[in-house]
Amino acid sequence: SSTDGPKSAHFDICSKNLKYKFSENAFNTNILKRHSGQYYTLPPTHIQKLFPYGLPPRFQLQIKTFNEGCVMVRPPALELISYLKRADYSKPPLRYVLYGDIGTGKTMSLCHALHYCYSQGWLIVHVPDAHLWVKNCKELLPSSSRPSRFDQPIQASQWLKNFKITNERFLSKVQLERYVWTKRESTEKGQPLGELIDQGVNRMKSSSDVVGAVLRELRLQAGGATEGEGAFKLAVAVDGVNALWGKTSLKKEDRTMCEPEELTLIHNLRKMMKNNWSGGAILTALSQTGSVFKPRSAYLPSELLGEEGFDNMEPFVPVSVSNYNEKEFESCYLYYLDRNWLQHPHSRSEEGKKELIFLSNKNPSILERLCAFL
Amino acid sequence: MAASVTRPALSSLCKINSNINGIYSLTSFSRRISISSVLSTSAVTTETEAAGRGVRGQRRSKRQAGEPRTERMTVDQDWTAVYPTAASFKPSAVPLPVRMGYPVKRGVPPAKKGNLELIKIPNFLHLTPVAIKKHCEALKQFCTEWPSALDSDEKCVKHFPIQVQSKEFVSAGLSLRNPDVRIVTLKVKLSSLNLDDHARKKMIKLSEERYCKDTDTLTITTDSCPLRQQNYDYAMYLLTVLYHESWKTEAWEQEKTRADMEEYEWEDSPSQKKVLDTLLRMRALGAKDEVEEGTREELLGQPAVQEYRDTMLRLKNEGETEENLQQYKEAVKKLFNI
Repeated sequence: SSTDGPKSAHFDICSKNLKYKFSENAFNTNILKRHSGQYYTLPPTHIQKLFPYGLPPRFQLQIKTFNEGCVMVRPPALELISYLKRADYSKPPLRYVLYGDIGTGKTMSLCHALHYCYSQGWLIVHVPDAHLWVKNCKELLPSSSRPSRFDQPIQASQWLKNFKITNERFLSKVQLERYVWTKRESTEKGQPLGELIDQGVNRMKSSSDVVGAVLRELRLQAGGATEGEGAFKLAVAVDGVNALWGKTSLKKEDRTMCEPEELTLIHNLRKMMKNNWSGGAILTALSQTGSVFKPRSAYLPSELLGEEGFDNMEPFVPVSVSNYNEKEFESCYLYYLDRNWLQHPHSRSEEGKKELIFLSNKNPSILERLCAFL
Repeated sequence: MAASVTRPALSSLCKINSNINGIYSLTSFSRRISISSVLSTSAVTTETEAAGRGVRGQRRSKRQAGEPRTERMTVDQDWTAVYPTAASFKPSAVPLPVRMGYPVKRGVPPAKKGNLELIKIPNFLHLTPVAIKKHCEALKQFCTEWPSALDSDEKCVKHFPIQVQSKEFVSAGLSLRNPDVRIVTLKVKLSSLNLDDHARKKMIKLSEERYCKDTDTLTITTDSCPLRQQNYDYAMYLLTVLYHESWKTEAWEQEKTRADMEEYEWEDSPSQKKVLDTLLRMRALGAKDEVEEGTREELLGQPAVQEYRDTMLRLKNEGETEENLQQYKEAVKKLFNI
């Protein structure tokens, strides 16, 4: 950065304003507005706990490379966080749907809002990609509890493990009701949640039903006891929510296509999406990239959700996510320069910057992929 | 050889005439002879060529082509005299610098002279506006007058809402007939028919793809009968039947479901139920919600709910766009007091 004089000075000044450390009052509205367009670092402990599989894969690689996870503060996330702050949690939960073109940052905004919820001490139910539950499942067992449904033990136990990592502090606090699994096994009333999850992880056969039971319990208890130990707010975050009402690519044993309704996991998650409980919020993001049988140009809610999905999700608050504007692009470019990610000498010049703008159209994911080559 | 014949004649003639005139006549005579010899040699050679040298190919006497007719054309000439009927393209008679064909390498399409492509294609040089005018003038004596009351398009459509189209074909071939002549197309606008709401929807459903929503036109094309008269009668019959059937209401029409509806209606839709549920739940949480008529009407009458209804109708009927979504967002925010 000492090669060209005036530019390096400008860039040094900017780099001081580029990042700020995450702190206790990081989510204060005024501070957030002031830092709009800049990056803030996620504390590593939070990344480990909150996002074992939640972040987009390329971003996880970036965290490993740069040794830090920096998220840009952008208007959609700010909007979501402001709604979350102002909402009344004695009423049914509001549903927020993040929509936008491919690569504009929907998953990242969702993760940012989720980080806010985590820092406020909410219980997080995070499904990183619902599309993973409707395609490429190696094992599809007929359900033990209901004859017409199918279980996915691998996906269910994976999700339970992640849930355990994220919500460790709640595991002993939430008390359960009585559930009967088989003739010999049952969960007694009053047992903590942690035991149920352990059982689900160990016994793969009933793990999907365990997931259903967990979700049901959380729904019933969220915001229920507003005083005392058991009070918690529930944040349900689903990425790729259009998978719940789309088509699957799974086949049953008689070679017919499986409907999403017939999968236990999907069925239970759909129940979670309804607003017949209270004391939390439902944050979702649409996603075309993993979706099954949807055209690439579809990005509006009714296109991706379909009629059934739209009817189920509404009334929801649509939040639009778009490409970077000038300031955000500037800050992303400076961040990459700061981390020495842009090695090519031409990329540090004005013309190089203009080329990057032209090639990527200020789309975050395309810019990231382009810069990876430089 | 004729040449050898003339020479002894020449010599004998010279001897005869040398006494009469002198050198002058001799020279003129010789000149005449020479000219005739030249002419006759060429004529003779062609004959001999034709007789003896036919194998090698013919070298015809090239009669020089005169200047093309285009050079002598004035700007205000009568074009109908140049192309009175349909004729192939004559490059010397068409004064336009037309080029046609695949370009030569690193060049341009070939010029019109000797261009087979231009001759192959059909041209309408015989149908210029001037020519058409002349045809019309000639045909006028066979026509009746246009009714003076119908002087605008709207009046025509108002008095004659049904348009019937059919084609005539004239061809000179083994047979004068063309089977496509029997096709009859009938076009009518549904707004000019006397239909109420139910009848209009039923008619549109019955006619399926023959109805165009943008122009509100029903198009019936018939070609199943062999004669044009029969097809016309059939088309009129179809129109009559459609009209009368759409006015009737059958018993099974009571079973019309939401999926059959043409437009989205918010009343009794799942969306309305959900909004009601949510609002009720928001109001009295924990209490048993028994929906009384009064509270229901009251809830639905709120301006926020009305706005939500408008945005939903717009979203569903007009399709989804960014602006529609923004309006929907505003409506939802107002509904839930964010």
